[in-house]
Amino acid sequence: MTDLGVPDDDMPIFSRVRREDVSATGDTSLAAMLDQTEPPAGMEAVAEALAALLAAPLGDELTGQAAAMAEFRQWFGVSHQPRRSRRRRSTLLTSLLRARAAAAAAAAALCLGGAALAAYTGALPAPVQRLAHDVIGAPSPKSTSHHPARSGSPTGPKVTGPAAFGLCNAYAHAKEHGTPEGRDVAFSKLVKVAGGADKVTSFCSGVQHPGTSATHRHQSGKPSSHSHGQQPAHHTGPPAHPTDPPSAHPTSRR
Amino acid sequence: MVGEDFAAVLAAAQAGDEMAFSRLWRDGNPALLRYLRVLAPDRAEDIASETWVRVVRGLADFRGDEMAWRAWLFTTARRRLVDDARRRARRPEAPLDEDAAARLTEPGDAADAALERIGTQAMIQLLARLPRPQAEVILLRVVGGLDTETVARMTDRSPGAVRVAAHRGLRRLAEIMAAEGVTL
Repeated sequence: MTDLGVPDDDMPIFSRVRREDVSATGDTSLAAMLDQTEPPAGMEAVAEALAALLAAPLGDELTGQAAAMAEFRQWFGVSHQPRRSRRRRSTLLTSLLRARAAAAAAAAALCLGGAALAAYTGALPAPVQRLAHDVIGAPSPKSTSHHPARSGSPTGPKVTGPAAFGLCNAYAHAKEHGTPEGRDVAFSKLVKVAGGADKVTSFCSGVQHPGTSATHRHQSGKPSSHSHGQQPAHHTGPPAHPTDPPSAHPTSRR
Repeated sequence: MVGEDFAAVLAAAQAGDEMAFSRLWRDGNPALLRYLRVLAPDRAEDIASETWVRVVRGLADFRGDEMAWRAWLFTTARRRLVDDARRRARRPEAPLDEDAAARLTEPGDAADAALERIGTQAMIQLLARLPRPQAEVILLRVVGGLDTETVARMTDRSPGAVRVAAHRGLRRLAEIMAAEGVTL
């Protein structure tokens, strides 16, 4: 398998979070990054869209289970074991569904809300967040000591700059599909800045898409045209993931 | 991902517990299918099924954490995928992946389906339009949940090459989404 021929000098360079600015303000919350981050053109939308790959199982993705279970039973010689009760089966299913409901809801909110900054708030599923971290310099998915911007208690994004657009979108979506309490830290700030819950809508109507003035995101098909930011601080170095490399390797049998 | 229960679930499955294996399967199979439906859309179910046969047979001997499990699952699937491609190369009458991918990108009848279904299928269709190495790296990282080093080992490439492929793939996706006004 060979890599396909895009010349190396064609690689995009994305603008970065200016970490020194974050530390200079003394605000170590993730929210501080939001005000100072110009999301890479188009890439944040891709990262969010990728979350759809982690949505709850679709019906036809589970249809092969009977065959797999039959193979398992035959190989392990457990066909004589009593079947588990329907009750236990449904309990397992329920817990599976419950465990995934949050992920699915998050993916749905991202898809609909168009919250441009999910990758920068760490709101994406961990695998997507890790990829975003590696590729576009978004924060890594877990709070660690070497990511000071992610430490500290959540204060929610500041409701200025590009964060406002994403927050307004997310707020509108949450309101439409229930109540926005789930994100109360961020939303309470939005409400506060707007001057009350009843004023959020009118506040948000005045918020511009962060790409409006820069003609990036969907308007621009060329992320590299947006490379005025600083060179990545850790783009080429090994990412400091708390989770990798794996401590064990598969003992594969052929 | 199974999460913190993984070690217990794996041990139970290795001891022959059907429910434990069921949990591993239900966690792993959707991920496998999303990977395979991009790379071999018309053979995805068969390859996934063959993968699980191998996994069942090797299950008792497997040692490792959930990351290693995932790596094994996708490595096994990838081998089946490669074998399948070799078989198909010897049978030129078999439809090519590209044809199936093109069919997949035709507008679907998914308007009334669940939201996540639209999103997931749309992403599968988008990824099928990328150069294969780029799509595969993105899938292994996102759907497989695997890190760069693991993907590099699986695909016989350097970690740097894996990062570059992911970068290019994401950029290409951004271009497609921007050009076509794709919103998921």
